[in-house]
Amino acid sequence: MGEEITAEAVLAELDAILTEVVGDDLLLDGPLAMDTSFDEDLQLESIEFVALAEKLLITYGERVDFVAWMATMELDDIIALTVGQVVDFVVESLAAVPGGG
Amino acid sequence: MARFLFVVPPFTGHVNPTVPVAAELDRRGHEVAWTGLPGSTEALLPAGSRFLPATSPEVAAYVDAAGDRRPDVRGAAAFKFLQEEVLLPLAREMVDGVDAAVDEFGADVLVVDQQALAGAVVARRRQMPWATSATTSGELVDPLSALPVVAEAMHQARVDLQIAAGVDPVVAAEGDLRASPHLVVAYTTEALVGEVAVDAPIAFVGPSTLGRPEADDFPWELLDDQRPKVLVSLGTLNADAGERFFSVAAEACAGERWQAVFVAPAELVPDPPPNVLVRARVPQLALLERMDAVVSHGGHNTVCETLAAGLPLVLAPIRDDQPVVADQVVRAAAGVRVKFNRVKVPDLRAAIEEALTSTELRAGAEAVAGSFAAAGGAAAAADAFESLLPPSL
Repeated sequence: MGEEITAEAVLAELDAILTEVVGDDLLLDGPLAMDTSFDEDLQLESIEFVALAEKLLITYGERVDFVAWMATMELDDIIALTVGQVVDFVVESLAAVPGGG
Repeated sequence: MARFLFVVPPFTGHVNPTVPVAAELDRRGHEVAWTGLPGSTEALLPAGSRFLPATSPEVAAYVDAAGDRRPDVRGAAAFKFLQEEVLLPLAREMVDGVDAAVDEFGADVLVVDQQALAGAVVARRRQMPWATSATTSGELVDPLSALPVVAEAMHQARVDLQIAAGVDPVVAAEGDLRASPHLVVAYTTEALVGEVAVDAPIAFVGPSTLGRPEADDFPWELLDDQRPKVLVSLGTLNADAGERFFSVAAEACAGERWQAVFVAPAELVPDPPPNVLVRARVPQLALLERMDAVVSHGGHNTVCETLAAGLPLVLAPIRDDQPVVADQVVRAAAGVRVKFNRVKVPDLRAAIEEALTSTELRAGAEAVAGSFAAAGGAAAAADAFESLLPPSL
C-alpha cells in the first residue's frame, strides 16, 4: 500500500462521513473526539449505522468490513461504541495483511 | 362458544387493537377477557370488560415508573432498557398470575401480545392453543438480523425465562415466544410490511381499530376547508419527549399555506402560529377524514390509521419499533422520513410540502389503504382466532 494511514487522518475522515450521514450538524457540544459515543452523544440511528458502513466501504475498500465487525458485538458493546474504537478498527483493518484473516 | 383470554402488556398501542377483535368475538357468542397489569391496563378497556389482574399493584407501579424513566433513552440503550428493565421482568412477574387467570376464566385459547411473553410461557407450559397478536409489525421483520450476537442473547433470555417457569428445556429452546407455531395475527398487510421473517402461519388482517368509538370535543369550526391540512402527532407516550420537535414543527408551519393540528400538551407549544391548532387529545379517526397528510413518530396504530385513510406520512421515528415501521412506509412509497432529533425547519417544511403534493406518495398510501380494506380487520382476526378452536367448541 505504501503510505500508512494515521488515526488523525481517519478521525478527520470519520467526521466528514458522519456529517454527511446525519446531515450537516452533529449536534455535539464540541468537535468529534475519540471518546464521542455513537449511542448517547451522536444518537446515531440504525439506518445511519447502515449508511456509515457503506461510506466506510466506499472510502477504504473491502478490508474495512464494518458490518462484519458490528455482527460480533454484544448489546453493551454497541451502546458503549465510541468514535475512537471505529478509528482504531479502520486503522487496524488497513494495517492487516490482505488475506491474512 | 369458547373462552378467549387476551394477554396484554400495559401499552395503549398494544391493547387498543384487541378491543374491536374481542367485541367481534363477543358478538359471535364467545366469552372474552383480558389479563395484564392492574390499573393502567384495565383503564384502557371499555367499561364492563372482564379483566383478571396478573400481578400485584406493586408490579404495575414498577412498570409505570420504568415507563416514566424511558423518555431519556433512545437507540440501543432504549432497546436494552425495554428488554431487560421492562419486558423480561414483566414476563417473569406475570407468569403465575396469567396461569391463575387461565384457570379462573376457563380459557380455551390464549391471545398473546408479542410484548406480553408470560402468555406464551403459560400456553407452552400448559400445552394449550395460543395465538400471537402482533399489534405492531416491528418484530415480524427481524430487526436484529445484522446483529446475530445480540439476537442470540435475546433468544437465550427468553429460553431462560421459560426454563425458570418450568417449561421443559428442550421445548423452551425451540421456536420463539414471539411467534406461536399455531397462528400469528398481524394487524397489517404484506403491502406495507414487505417480506416477514416469521416461521409460523400468519393471518394479515390489517388494522382492527378503524371502527373504534372516539370521544369528540374537537372544535371543528376552526378547520379551514380552503387550505390543505396536516395532523402532527407523536402518539400517546411520546408527546412530552417532543418539545424540540414540536418547536421545529411550529416554525416549519408558520406562514405556510397549510393548516396544522398538533396533538400535544398546550404548554409544549407556547405561542403557536395562527395556522396551528394545538389539542391535547383529538378524535383521530374523524380528524383523519379531513386531513391531507400526517406527521408522525411512526407508532404502528397511527401509521396504519393514516394509511387506511389513504394519506401520505412524514415520519420522525423516536425509538423501539418506530424506525422499522417508518422504513416500511418509505419502502411502500407512502411517506418520507426525517430525523426526530436533528430535523431542521426547512427540511421538515419541505417534507410536509412533499407529503401534501406528491402524487407518488398519495398513490403509495392509497395502495396500502386498498390492501387494508381487503384484509378484513377485526372480523378477519376473529375468524383466525376461531380457527384454533377444536370442533366441539
